[in-house]
Amino acid sequence: MQLLFKPEIQTHFALKDVSFNVEPGSFVGLIGANGAGKTTLLKILSGLIPPTEGSTRVLGYNPFERPLDFRRKIALVMGQKAQLWWDLPANDAFDLLHAIYDIPDKLYRERVQILSELLDVKQHLQTQIRRLSLGERMKMELIGAILHWPSVIFLDEPTIGLDVMAAAKLREFLKVFNQREKSTIILTSHNMDDIERLCSRVLILRAGELIYDGKPAGLLREGERRLKVRFSLVPDLEELSRITRLPLNQISVAMSERAEDPDLAPETGGVYFTLKQDQIVPVLQILMQHGTIIDMGIEEQSLESVIQRVFEGGIKP
Amino acid sequence: MEILGNAIVPAAIQWVLWYAIFKTDGATELAGMTYVQMLHYTLVSVLFNQVRGGDQDFELAEMIRTGQLSNYLIRPVGLIQFIYIRGVASKLLISALSLAIGIVLSVSVLSSEASPLRMIGAMLLALLGNVIHFQIGAVLSAMAFRWEDAYGLLMVKNMAVSILSGELLPLNLFPESPFYLYVFGPAQYALGEWTHLEFVRQLGVAFLWIFVLWVLIRFTWGLGIKKYVSLGG
Repeated sequence: MQLLFKPEIQTHFALKDVSFNVEPGSFVGLIGANGAGKTTLLKILSGLIPPTEGSTRVLGYNPFERPLDFRRKIALVMGQKAQLWWDLPANDAFDLLHAIYDIPDKLYRERVQILSELLDVKQHLQTQIRRLSLGERMKMELIGAILHWPSVIFLDEPTIGLDVMAAAKLREFLKVFNQREKSTIILTSHNMDDIERLCSRVLILRAGELIYDGKPAGLLREGERRLKVRFSLVPDLEELSRITRLPLNQISVAMSERAEDPDLAPETGGVYFTLKQDQIVPVLQILMQHGTIIDMGIEEQSLESVIQRVFEGGIKP
Repeated sequence: MEILGNAIVPAAIQWVLWYAIFKTDGATELAGMTYVQMLHYTLVSVLFNQVRGGDQDFELAEMIRTGQLSNYLIRPVGLIQFIYIRGVASKLLISALSLAIGIVLSVSVLSSEASPLRMIGAMLLALLGNVIHFQIGAVLSAMAFRWEDAYGLLMVKNMAVSILSGELLPLNLFPESPFYLYVFGPAQYALGEWTHLEFVRQLGVAFLWIFVLWVLIRFTWGLGIKKYVSLGG
């Protein structure tokens, strides 16, 4: 009973000193590990929750005041939360949104036609939302979210749970929509394909702090490669750092590419070295002198690998 | 079928109760009402009970708890009005059916004081009672912002309403409350127990309650929304 009237409260800072501007029409990726604060940031920008300190302006409005004009110009799609009415067929759900957003009839019919054809779901418009597959449902959610042609779209992991084809289709659609309609899109995703193919700018959050704000390509240092070496015996990373004179944050254990388990197993004896092109041969020579190499290969740096190391705190972008 | 079930069970309970009191125990009057008057009250109260509010307040509380409220907060709709209008659609259909049945009863079975015009006025009171029922629920559901779950509170409210609305017993001996307007008040006017002047007075009371509760909803939800965390992703 005491807890009912005097609940115990713990304070957790979901975001700390996050500050940025977004130009109209841009496509921004918001990435971070689980719990980094991405969804909290989207909730603040869309007006669902207020910031504890500081201020937010979206389209000139204070989002938390939620004026009607503001709500008519934004959209929020959450990959993990259904927003359409499950028992209604998609068409009926869109009709309801047509009324809510007061979309002119002719425009409404055209948009449903265009969007359902673009996303290849026209044949499912009479099906109840709850009967659709995840991919089809996400497409309907997206259609429902942008029927009113919002100026700003917040997408929270829209491709989560989608197969490769469905995710690619969704991505293609978002790209076209952003380019054609000049809508500002802020997207959170754990899928680096989404970020690489769509976003001209990336914001990286770690433990609530904004640690990178710039182009995705800016994360990849020019001329850097990844040297993958498999040793006969599992090496000590600190020992490797000492003999190669490379910083420890440029050396990491290789995960097995053949592992199907989401918790990837370390590949026995495999190590990654992040190097410039002209460092590869000298480092290999040193490694051959100090151990038996079973296999080796050279890879291009991937955005995913860089971001993984950023999440782990291994590198500063 | 659900409507029939909701109507028949309470009516049967009341009929058994009055039969036991009047026929078995030999009472001639109870709270100023005879056996026939009690039966007429039972018939008519069943009609207005179908128009009493639904469970939209539970839905509101659940939306706060699960984060589904967010779906409405980002859209250009008044949340409370949207949820109410969506829920009242079926009640309007039921009220039309109940009114039709009530008009037939008023010219056939009920006493001479009853009339189709009184039945229409009574149904208007019952519909205002429906609005008040929802508003009280909306105020209570705002507790979910603080407690995360207002289910228990809303259940207690529903149990109190069952008694205080006159659904089971005429409320002659109870003090006036907004719950009067759900069942007892409309039944009294329909049966000719209330004068037209009393009806107009009760209409005024209903609109006053609606205004007061509208202010309370704005206050409780205005405070509560600041604590909303939009759970679920």
